Amino acid sequence: MEAAAIWFHLGPFAITSVVATTWGVMLALTLFCWLATRHLTLDPGPLQTTLEGVVSAIETAIDAVLPGRAQLLLPFIGTLWIYILISNLLGIIPGLHSPMGNLSVTSGLALLVFFSVHWFGVRSEGVRRYLRHYLSPSPILLPFHLISEVTRTAALAVRLFGNIMSLEMAALLVLLVAGLLAPVPLLMLHIVEATVQAYIFGMLALIYVAGAMQSQQNLERNEEGDGNG
Amino acid sequence: MEFDWTTFTLEIINFLILVWILKRFLYRPVLDVIARRRAGVEKTLADAKRIEAEAGEFKQRCERELAQWEKDKEAAQARLREELAAERGRLMAALETSVAEERERRRVLDERRQHDLQRSVEEQGIAQGAAFSARLLSRVATPELEARLYALLLEDLRGLRAEDKRAVAEAAAAPGLQLRVQSAFALDEGRRAELARVLAEATGKTLPVEYRENPELLAGFHVSIGPWILHANLRDELKFFSGALRHAG
Repeated sequence: MEAAAIWFHLGPFAITSVVATTWGVMLALTLFCWLATRHLTLDPGPLQTTLEGVVSAIETAIDAVLPGRAQLLLPFIGTLWIYILISNLLGIIPGLHSPMGNLSVTSGLALLVFFSVHWFGVRSEGVRRYLRHYLSPSPILLPFHLISEVTRTAALAVRLFGNIMSLEMAALLVLLVAGLLAPVPLLMLHIVEATVQAYIFGMLALIYVAGAMQSQQNLERNEEGDGNG
Repeated sequence: MEFDWTTFTLEIINFLILVWILKRFLYRPVLDVIARRRAGVEKTLADAKRIEAEAGEFKQRCERELAQWEKDKEAAQARLREELAAERGRLMAALETSVAEERERRRVLDERRQHDLQRSVEEQGIAQGAAFSARLLSRVATPELEARLYALLLEDLRGLRAEDKRAVAEAAAAPGLQLRVQSAFALDEGRRAELARVLAEATGKTLPVEYRENPELLAGFHVSIGPWILHANLRDELKFFSGALRHAG
């Protein structure tokens, strides 16, 4: 996979096609959401019904994993799902490449998930009580906890990058080898793969955050059980 | 597969900005309208529950009122039955009184009718008796009986009481008075002369006498001195007898 082309420089920053595509996605999402949610009514039309269905589905999915915290996690997890899905589907359009085919992008998202896990964990229970779960059930496991934090973040970034990059590369190879119409089934597979990868990334992020918030609750529950015993 | 720190950094910033944008323009408005709709639905449900509760309370109140109305109705029916029984008793008593009065009236009418019938029968009996007596006396009305009644007439004229004599004298004092003597059989001259003399003694003066034969008298005499009349015949005696019987009945 070749490096992303630099479109222009903004001061010391070299703006690549990936960043420009991301801005395009952001601009399109902003315009769409602003236009679609300007006149929401209690008697919804088809577009409002679709938007409410999407948001409600995301909220329900979060609530199923972490009951009672859906309102808190909805902006972060929901944006992950929407952004990754749209970015993945951009790869279908000829001439455009999915930003998720760039390791810098997926690494950035993975790093955000990494910090979000700790942010929500600390926000939920406080620094000291959150950090205590690294010593549970035994301080001996602290190195393994730390290694797990790093490796799962790296896996998160590499999994999404590898799948999308390989998907686009496979489509390109098939197009070069078999002609114009042969990649059509592969493009249909691209839609499924893009959706699945977005879902996996968002769901893993949700599970990590939920683990950070629930691990503290489990620790407290265990301590309460020991105290009662 | 190159790692570009600029892209990495900008993607982080871009994503955080996108989170804010979607939260501002998508999640919050949509969640707000869902919350408003949910609040409306809950309000509608609460209103429905409140209305249901009010309806239940109203139903219970209606049932209580219906039960009270049933009690009132039964009490009113009981009172009506008592009033009807009292009214029926009163009407029955009035009817019995009316029937008793009617019975008494009918009894009185029957008694009167019976009395009238009895009286009619008695009158018929008296009339028949009188007719029978008349027929019987007509058969015994002979000149001998006439002679006997003539003797009784003379005896009565001679034996008048003082007040009778005064009455006869007053009757005979009428100017132009003519005495009338009716007899069942013809009187001979001797008896006529003797009777005229006795009448003159009774009246105190001599008055012309008209003699006339009247077979209806059966036997005997009928003497008229003005308004004063002396009956000495079977017909008048039978009349007196019948009248006496009627008055006695």
